[in-house]
Amino acid sequence: MGDFYGRDWQLIIPGCSNDVHFYIISCLFSKSYRVLCKFFAHGACLKGEHCEFSHDWKDPPNNICTYYQKGACAYGSRCRYDHIKVSQVHSSVSSSSVIEHQTPVSDTVAFGNNRTTSNGAGTAADFSLSSSTYILPSEPVWNQELAWNHELVWNPEFEYHEIFGEDNVGQSIITSPSELSICSFAAAGNCPRGEKCPHIHGDLCPTCGKLCLHPFRPEEREEHMKSCKNKHKHLEALKRSQEIECSVCLERVLSKSTPAERKFGLLSECDHPFCISCIRNWRSSNPTLGMDVNSTLRACPICRKLSYFVIPSVIWYTTIEEKQEIIDNYKAKLKSIDCKHFDFGDGNCPFGTSCFYKHAYRDGRMEQVVLRHLGAADGNTVIAKDIRLSDFLSNMHLR
Amino acid sequence: MQASRARLFKEYKEVQREKAVDPDIQLVCDESNIFKWTALVKGPSETPYEGGVFQLAFSVPEQYPLQPPQVRFLTKIFHPNVHFKTGEICLDILKNAWSPAWTLQSVCRAIIALMAHPEPDSPLNCDSGNLLRSGDVRGYQSMARMYTRLAAMSKKG
Repeated sequence: MGDFYGRDWQLIIPGCSNDVHFYIISCLFSKSYRVLCKFFAHGACLKGEHCEFSHDWKDPPNNICTYYQKGACAYGSRCRYDHIKVSQVHSSVSSSSVIEHQTPVSDTVAFGNNRTTSNGAGTAADFSLSSSTYILPSEPVWNQELAWNHELVWNPEFEYHEIFGEDNVGQSIITSPSELSICSFAAAGNCPRGEKCPHIHGDLCPTCGKLCLHPFRPEEREEHMKSCKNKHKHLEALKRSQEIECSVCLERVLSKSTPAERKFGLLSECDHPFCISCIRNWRSSNPTLGMDVNSTLRACPICRKLSYFVIPSVIWYTTIEEKQEIIDNYKAKLKSIDCKHFDFGDGNCPFGTSCFYKHAYRDGRMEQVVLRHLGAADGNTVIAKDIRLSDFLSNMHLR
Repeated sequence: MQASRARLFKEYKEVQREKAVDPDIQLVCDESNIFKWTALVKGPSETPYEGGVFQLAFSVPEQYPLQPPQVRFLTKIFHPNVHFKTGEICLDILKNAWSPAWTLQSVCRAIIALMAHPEPDSPLNCDSGNLLRSGDVRGYQSMARMYTRLAAMSKKG
């Protein structure tokens, strides 16, 4: 099919080299050249797997600041989007603009060939217009978009419905109900068109109480229910955690002045709440006045139970299972970070096998530790530390 | 610095609110310096300090609550763990067993408990400690009661 379109367009777009044709076609049809969906990246894309943008974290996001392209971005150097000129990154910019144009084509492809034969000429002609404007290297990207939008609205030959074919419920081109997108107004809580709305209204989600469950996409429903339930649980826990006070600063942990401080520090062995900053400050404070590190600093300030580590958490827990989940998540997160002491095998980690961080060599191989047990004189066994020949040599006295 | 000030301010508000709750302790903050406090504590009943009102001076370090406040008796007291001349107190929670969860209020309570249960084995006042260690409870009690009468009770009584 790609070949068919390719040839078609080669005929239609005059004055373009073969390279450019190939580039456009490959952009339009290859799955690998897709840009990350902005809505997906922010956590909610209503189109689900039918979105024309990629829902794969591996795909690159479109990070080009459009305000900068237009000449001025109020955020300046603090802008989270890239400040690059069109000419510098012709390929990446054009890819983004091509994606803009992808919608009508992919829809025609999805909705069958009969449409293409009847309307194909018109669509392709329009497309060629817009494509040729974008190919001009001096033309900035927003002009291309404008040109495209302009055509959308003003070109009478252009079929508006063609682009938003999925918007029209009654059209015969739709093959299955799962192709329909649900009404985003209804999903957000209120659709002004009510019964007359041309979109289908989603089913009610029991957790968030919004009409956002697609009736014909079971996977998407599942996904939403799951994430919605988790979000709800998190919010509930957050609500419960609001009241909890730190026993060191006597303030509510989640009402502290700086956002970085609004976190609990969980102790592994007891259930007394502290701010992460307070408990860390206390544990790392200098042992003065003959304080014993283990019985005072490492102990809980309230019950004096010894805990070897502190777990940061945004929420406070109510059950042992919840606490265990927080601890497990924390450990799993640390396990994915390379240990800076181990340094891919070049360094020496003082925590050894009990280190929470990842001990992996540069080739990805994990560290294998065989613990050596030494029988001590008193009959107990101790775990031997790494013994090197140089240790013996440095202790040796030559007579 | 900021943390200690915020924490002391919290404690100040708590003290204002809780005034009636603990009639044995009256904590007052210095009007111009939040790091200086004084407390009036009542001698616990059924001890030689009963009926006396003892004044304590708190000097709070800038690292508070990571470091304990310095507390001493301003009122003379005959007690094995209080220095007779300086009023210095030998109490583990004010030294190596300090915990940031303690407040000035709870330190006062700990001092009242210390008055009721002297530790003659780590004395700052050796005379008092020796009396208790040699088993002369009556001697210790009468000495303590005398000093309570002399120093910790209003002249009228």
